[in-house]
Amino acid sequence: MSWRRYFRRNRRDAESARDLEFYLEQETADNIARGMASDEARAAARRKLGNATAVREEIHRMNTIGFIDNFWRDAVYALRSMRKNPVFTVTAVLTLALGIGGNTAMFTVIRAVLLKPLEFRDPDRLVYYSMDNARRNVHDTQFTPDRLTQMRAAARSFAALGAYGANPENPSLSGEGDPLSLRGARVSANFLDVLGVAPALGRSFLPEEDARGGPAVAMIGNDLWRRHFGADPAIAGRTVTLDSTPTTIVGVLPAGFAFPFSGIDVWLPRPSEWSLLPPRFWGISLLMGFGRLKPGVTLDQARAETTVLTEQYNRAHRTMDSDSTMRIVWLKDRLVSNVRGMLWMLFGAVGFVLLIACANVAGLLLARATSRSREFAVRAALGAGRSRLIGQLLAESLVLATAGGALGAIFAKWSLSALQSVSVLNQPAVSNALYVPGASGMRVDAMVLGFTIALSLITGVVFGLFPSLEMSRPDLADVLRESGVGAGRASSGKRGTLGISPRALLVIGQVALSVVLLIGAALLMRSFARLHSVNTGFQTSNLLTMKIALPPSRYNTDPRRAAFFSDLVQRVETLPGARSAAVAMSLPTTRWIRTNITSVQGQPLPETNDPTFGVIQSVTPGYFRTLGIPLRRGREFTARDNMAGAPPVMMINESLAHLLWHDYPQGPNPVGQHISEGYDKLVGMMEVVGIVADIHEGGLASDVVSEFYLPCVVHPPQNAYLVVRTPGDPLKLGNSVRSQVAAIDRDQSVSEIRTMETVYEDTLGQRRLTMQLLGSFAGVALVLALIGLYGVIAYSVAQRTHEVGIRRALGAQQGDILKLVLGQGLGLTLAGVVLGIGGAFALTRVMKTLLFQVSATDPLTFAGIALLFVIVALAASYIPAWRASRIDPMAALR
Amino acid sequence: MSKSKPPDGDLLQGTLDMLILRTLLLGPAHGHSIAYSIERRSSEILQVEHGSLYPALYRLEDRGWIAAFWGTSENNRKAKYYRLTPAGKKQLIAETDRWERLATGISRILRPTAEERA
Repeated sequence: MSWRRYFRRNRRDAESARDLEFYLEQETADNIARGMASDEARAAARRKLGNATAVREEIHRMNTIGFIDNFWRDAVYALRSMRKNPVFTVTAVLTLALGIGGNTAMFTVIRAVLLKPLEFRDPDRLVYYSMDNARRNVHDTQFTPDRLTQMRAAARSFAALGAYGANPENPSLSGEGDPLSLRGARVSANFLDVLGVAPALGRSFLPEEDARGGPAVAMIGNDLWRRHFGADPAIAGRTVTLDSTPTTIVGVLPAGFAFPFSGIDVWLPRPSEWSLLPPRFWGISLLMGFGRLKPGVTLDQARAETTVLTEQYNRAHRTMDSDSTMRIVWLKDRLVSNVRGMLWMLFGAVGFVLLIACANVAGLLLARATSRSREFAVRAALGAGRSRLIGQLLAESLVLATAGGALGAIFAKWSLSALQSVSVLNQPAVSNALYVPGASGMRVDAMVLGFTIALSLITGVVFGLFPSLEMSRPDLADVLRESGVGAGRASSGKRGTLGISPRALLVIGQVALSVVLLIGAALLMRSFARLHSVNTGFQTSNLLTMKIALPPSRYNTDPRRAAFFSDLVQRVETLPGARSAAVAMSLPTTRWIRTNITSVQGQPLPETNDPTFGVIQSVTPGYFRTLGIPLRRGREFTARDNMAGAPPVMMINESLAHLLWHDYPQGPNPVGQHISEGYDKLVGMMEVVGIVADIHEGGLASDVVSEFYLPCVVHPPQNAYLVVRTPGDPLKLGNSVRSQVAAIDRDQSVSEIRTMETVYEDTLGQRRLTMQLLGSFAGVALVLALIGLYGVIAYSVAQRTHEVGIRRALGAQQGDILKLVLGQGLGLTLAGVVLGIGGAFALTRVMKTLLFQVSATDPLTFAGIALLFVIVALAASYIPAWRASRIDPMAALR
Repeated sequence: MSKSKPPDGDLLQGTLDMLILRTLLLGPAHGHSIAYSIERRSSEILQVEHGSLYPALYRLEDRGWIAAFWGTSENNRKAKYYRLTPAGKKQLIAETDRWERLATGISRILRPTAEERA
């Protein structure tokens, strides 16, 4: 085959040479035999043979693959000329490395998260299901165990149906040493069967372990098994103390298994037995579902069947959610739904950066090629065809792109590890967010390298073709006639479409693309600033928070839990460095519990779509003082309110006051009125003793909600948060608070020790990362576009030295020249900015969900970026303009 | 990279190939003797520049119609000998057929017809 011949051609050539040599010897010998003198004989032999070198060359050519040979020569030449132009080379390679590296990194993420199938058996059969309620405007919410039972009994579309508890748990692992607070998930016993995953060790749950009152069993994650149990191969069957209950570990999950939440250490059966709620509530809506479609069943068929079954169920059970509908989506789609838009948007943005980088390098090459037009004319005159000239220029750009690609791959590897360390994909802001598949498996592998190589080659061709086409038809006579200095002018004067030179077009494109990116980044930054200026309603600084999950087995009664929390608050408040402390059922941004107000004395309940319009908070008396929530009317809870048997009292926030008494703050005073609520037990009518200001419970981006507060003793939570106000750095107090917890209960663990500022910041993680990435892309784009603009202007000034000289000689002032050049820069910039604004108008809507209180077409941002760009562009063209204005007419014209 | 494709319709090249194959039908030979053999056997009508023989030899070898080996010449020098392969023999028959048909056709056209003679 020709490739083999290609590599063996040198040996073949030697053979041909020997063969021909033999001919000469033989012919010479024959000639001598014919009676010639030896010199003459040799010469005659040569004549007879003809041109031996030409013959060898002909045979050699048969063995070569033409373009490779040429390419090799061109590449070597390109390397030589790159070495002679280090500034150009370094600029071009770095520019390309940024573009290619950024794209490689983003592609790695996109591939790991979005493109790879889930690492389960037949992942394209797996679905996710949950409830929607159009009337209450709640979506993707939980369902009851009864619905699961009905679905399992009746649905024929599914090979298997599983469910998980919508909220992760925090079981404590005690025994040796400090108790360990783990992250746990409750799943139906068949979860591994549905997913098609085999345990790494031991067995999966048995069906009977899913029944109420089943044995205390758990499966543990590979990470916990290695970290805490020293990868004990005999772990299966071992009994450990989990939430003060002897629990048998039945199996270990494979490494990397993360379903349904990320960072789960322990899986428990019986998904509806949420430890936060007493057992009598384990029948309420607490489940989310996943399942496997039977082979051949389409998603639409499954949806149709489920709709019918849901209606049947709703007719048979008149409950609060009996007008809900079930939604079924592909599991993969649901898992990536929170990040998909962001990732594609960033991929698009980084693609823009690459385009800008290409345009920049194309501009550089074009400038260089123009100044080399004489070289090309000479080559063409010596017989190089157009394809050879294009080939040479392409070879140069491919060499550049290869170097850029290699550097880019290194850059990508580095930026990926940086990205992974701050990745919000691994640490979702909301504790009950589903895990993001592939987030931990992002690495530069063969496929990614293939992408990089392909990208480099395409890049090389894209930015190389532009100048090559331009340069490969030199007007020979014209260029060669010119003297060395002005040699480039003939071809640089050539105008492309619409009388604009190709370099100008490149710059306009660059400006337009970077304006789009800048506007996108600016919109995100403005949203972020808006978010940070949101008044949370209380003082977030100097607050220490931590989570305390009381094991239901030991703290199984209200008095036990209430006593624990009272004791804890008392102890912590005596700590030096703690101003005040309180315990609450939930923290702002952590998952709250909505419930319903069942009656208001003396007036009807308000008409609302959502009966669960009230968020319940169970707090110890110091809560408002500790957080700094202003009291609007009445009084705060006192220690007496928090004692068992005290008259039932309640505090409400202003939103709830306004909802129940429309005229608030005018009209009847809510303080002193009586309300009853419908959380886990009937407390009866409670007197409203105070009204507090609203706070942003749902995080900065959410609206305020109507909310009521009850003394801790009424509903002592199973999982609670401790907040401590400190004069200085709150985290310094972490250990002494932890030891106070241990002093009350040696086996009790704490988790999520954070400052309140971090609690809020953590909810912004994805926004922040998006903003930072888009911001850095936009920054790179801006710099590249300015370099491109500067290059074009500076180059055109150099080209027009002669013209400027004539103008000066004819009386143009320095200011006129300055204006002339600046005008050129301004023209290019304006054209690009207008195009960019149009593009941004069309594109920024994709980031709507990431914006906060800023319109996707915010006029101020658009105008600001346009203005900013014009100013920096003028600054960039000022340097060459100034240089042009200083041209000495005598020197220029001589 | 169409270099290994047989040059169909290239009469002269094909012809030279055929002559080489025909020469080798008599037994292995080296380049020098092939050149002379062709010259002699065509009663010196076909004067080829002997060098041009070598690319043809190379091409034929590449196609597997002839095989090369290093041997010793009549005057005890190392020489590259070429011999016909079975595939080459088949090719020679095909080529000869083609040539004869072509030659008959051409000579029919060239032979003056009765009308022209009249």
